[in-house]
Amino acid sequence: MKIKRILIANRGEIAVRIIKTARKMKIETVAVKTSVEPNALFLTMADIVFDNTEDSTDIPVFLNIERLVDIALKTGSDAVHPGYGFLAENAYFAQKCSDNGIVFIGPSPDSIYKMGNKTIARKIALASGIPMATGSQGNIGNEEEAAAVAEKIGYPVIIKAASGGGGRGMRIVRRPDEMEKMFLIASKEAEKAFNDPSVFVEKYIENPKHIEFQILGDQEGNIIHLGERECSIQRKHQKLLEEAPSPALDNELRSTMGQMAIKIAQAVRYYSAGTVEFLLDSEKNFYFMEMNTRIQVEHPVTEMITGIDLIEQQIRIASGEKLKIRQDDVKLKGWAIECRINAEDVQAGFAPDPGKIEKLSLPCGANIRVDTGVEAGSSIIASYDSMIAKLIVRGKDRKDAIRKTKLALDKVWIKGSKTTLPFFRMLVRNTKFIDGSFTTAFIEKDLEKYYYNSEYEEMLAAWLATKLFIEENLLDNSIPVDFENSKDMSPWLMNKRINQF
Amino acid sequence: MGKPKTEIKKLYTLSSENKRFSFTQPLKHSIRIGQRDYEVKLKSDEKHGTYILWKNRKYPVEIVRSRQNRYEILFNDISYTFTVETPFSMKRMKVLNTGKEKSNKVELKAPMPGKIIDVLVREGSSVLRGEPLVILEAMKMQNEIQSPANGKVTRVVVKSNSNVMKDDLLIEILSDQTGNR
Repeated sequence: MKIKRILIANRGEIAVRIIKTARKMKIETVAVKTSVEPNALFLTMADIVFDNTEDSTDIPVFLNIERLVDIALKTGSDAVHPGYGFLAENAYFAQKCSDNGIVFIGPSPDSIYKMGNKTIARKIALASGIPMATGSQGNIGNEEEAAAVAEKIGYPVIIKAASGGGGRGMRIVRRPDEMEKMFLIASKEAEKAFNDPSVFVEKYIENPKHIEFQILGDQEGNIIHLGERECSIQRKHQKLLEEAPSPALDNELRSTMGQMAIKIAQAVRYYSAGTVEFLLDSEKNFYFMEMNTRIQVEHPVTEMITGIDLIEQQIRIASGEKLKIRQDDVKLKGWAIECRINAEDVQAGFAPDPGKIEKLSLPCGANIRVDTGVEAGSSIIASYDSMIAKLIVRGKDRKDAIRKTKLALDKVWIKGSKTTLPFFRMLVRNTKFIDGSFTTAFIEKDLEKYYYNSEYEEMLAAWLATKLFIEENLLDNSIPVDFENSKDMSPWLMNKRINQF
Repeated sequence: MGKPKTEIKKLYTLSSENKRFSFTQPLKHSIRIGQRDYEVKLKSDEKHGTYILWKNRKYPVEIVRSRQNRYEILFNDISYTFTVETPFSMKRMKVLNTGKEKSNKVELKAPMPGKIIDVLVREGSSVLRGEPLVILEAMKMQNEIQSPANGKVTRVVVKSNSNVMKDDLLIEILSDQTGNR
């Protein structure tokens, strides 16, 4: 069936990303306007905007299955793209779409369910002979049971939410006396985040690398992999920088791990784009962690080095097309790095710093791609994630990619929120990052300082403070703040100052 | 621009880490590196907002806060806090600081706005540095707010389910003199 109109059940940069590919394929898009962000960028790009601002239900529309199906039917959409987050990995939503004759652009509800439930996924992986960290047989009911399992497999262990993902409901336990508290925190967090308090316990792999494989499969059972992504630069399980390929893999290991990724995808008759996540230890042993049954935030790095548009493939596969790319056709060309530029205060432990983006200017060029859902004047809202933009840079090799990233970072201009830019400026200068030996413990263990500033920047800032002091205190006509005539200050700054008085 | 009120010829600008920068008054619009002076310009335009132009590069700047002689400057996405002192106030400050004992009261503040999920300690609890004291949920993530010091909890300001703003006081700790810093 040829898809003609897609309802985007998402917002922000991924909505923009889906619209771009749909346009290229001459498919119409429908976006949903909410009262939370009625002026969002993605709304200006869609062919049809469904006005949901009057919706008074408690559930946000992007989590409201009935409502989304209703909107799809009302707008004559023959397909739904869930993006990532929200309902992207909700089997019931996928089922509901197909029950109503709407194509869900993603895998089957059955695949989503099996891989979404980490306990079932573990069992399937085990049966398929995929290497895995040792752990509990199924879900764990209480802290005593968790302690018993931990005793058997040995500390440290990690408690994970059965329905989890993205680091929520996950706790590392190093000593028996921490078990009770950590079990309760993990379980509570899991219940809150996923409506399911069940957790399981597995051996914690110390200082691993996070390596994930991109999978593409069609509905006839053809499955290929598009190589790996290195996602070890993460903080509290939140990825900050991803690259493809990984400096830790050679062709042989890539092929072995890729085959394992295909194998687990085959076990659930997977189709669409998907990601199989592994942990890689210092001896290059790898362990299956989980499979994400959706497009990933970091998918652009794979697109940059393979030249394959993953959203396009998702749409073609969903409409029943056979995969035209064969494993041998997949060639990894060059090196790509993605920096997640978030509205976060690096100096305050990456605390979200939501606010209005006053000024925004992003680099462009042959080897640069920027995916963003905001423009100057947009707001980063506390109720959504803190992403401002993804900066993706390609080089001919890793060294070249790092060099180009360093230059591109200085061409990003954002005012209105603090951002993760100073963190990336530090990263591209860090020897452990440059030599590729970093692990997921890098940010917590190897870094003394989370940001970079050149030696003159503080001096220039001090100069500015001194200039202000003189103007406010040492000049005859000085008043604390010259509200009327101040030309040097932006309205944003004025507001911030007014709030101080 | 008016004339200087007093005959102050020098200013000392101290960073929060006690780095000292000295500037002449009236202030030169250049900074000397080695043998060369490089011009500094504070500018503003529609595309960039306020910025400093130095050595052909634009740096975004904002004045986040100013109170008396204290300035919080956001420069190229990094916050700096400075106090600007005249030679006179500098001298006075030195006198005041001599013999003054450092307070060992430690305030634990909310690093971000959010909701308190759990308070894990009570007044009088002994705590160790790095021990989680409060669980704060922000942007769908539960964050453990850890004790910055070894000591005793003297005050618990927040309760479960209460909402907090960034920098709100959560807990006060009387730190032991040992084991910190």
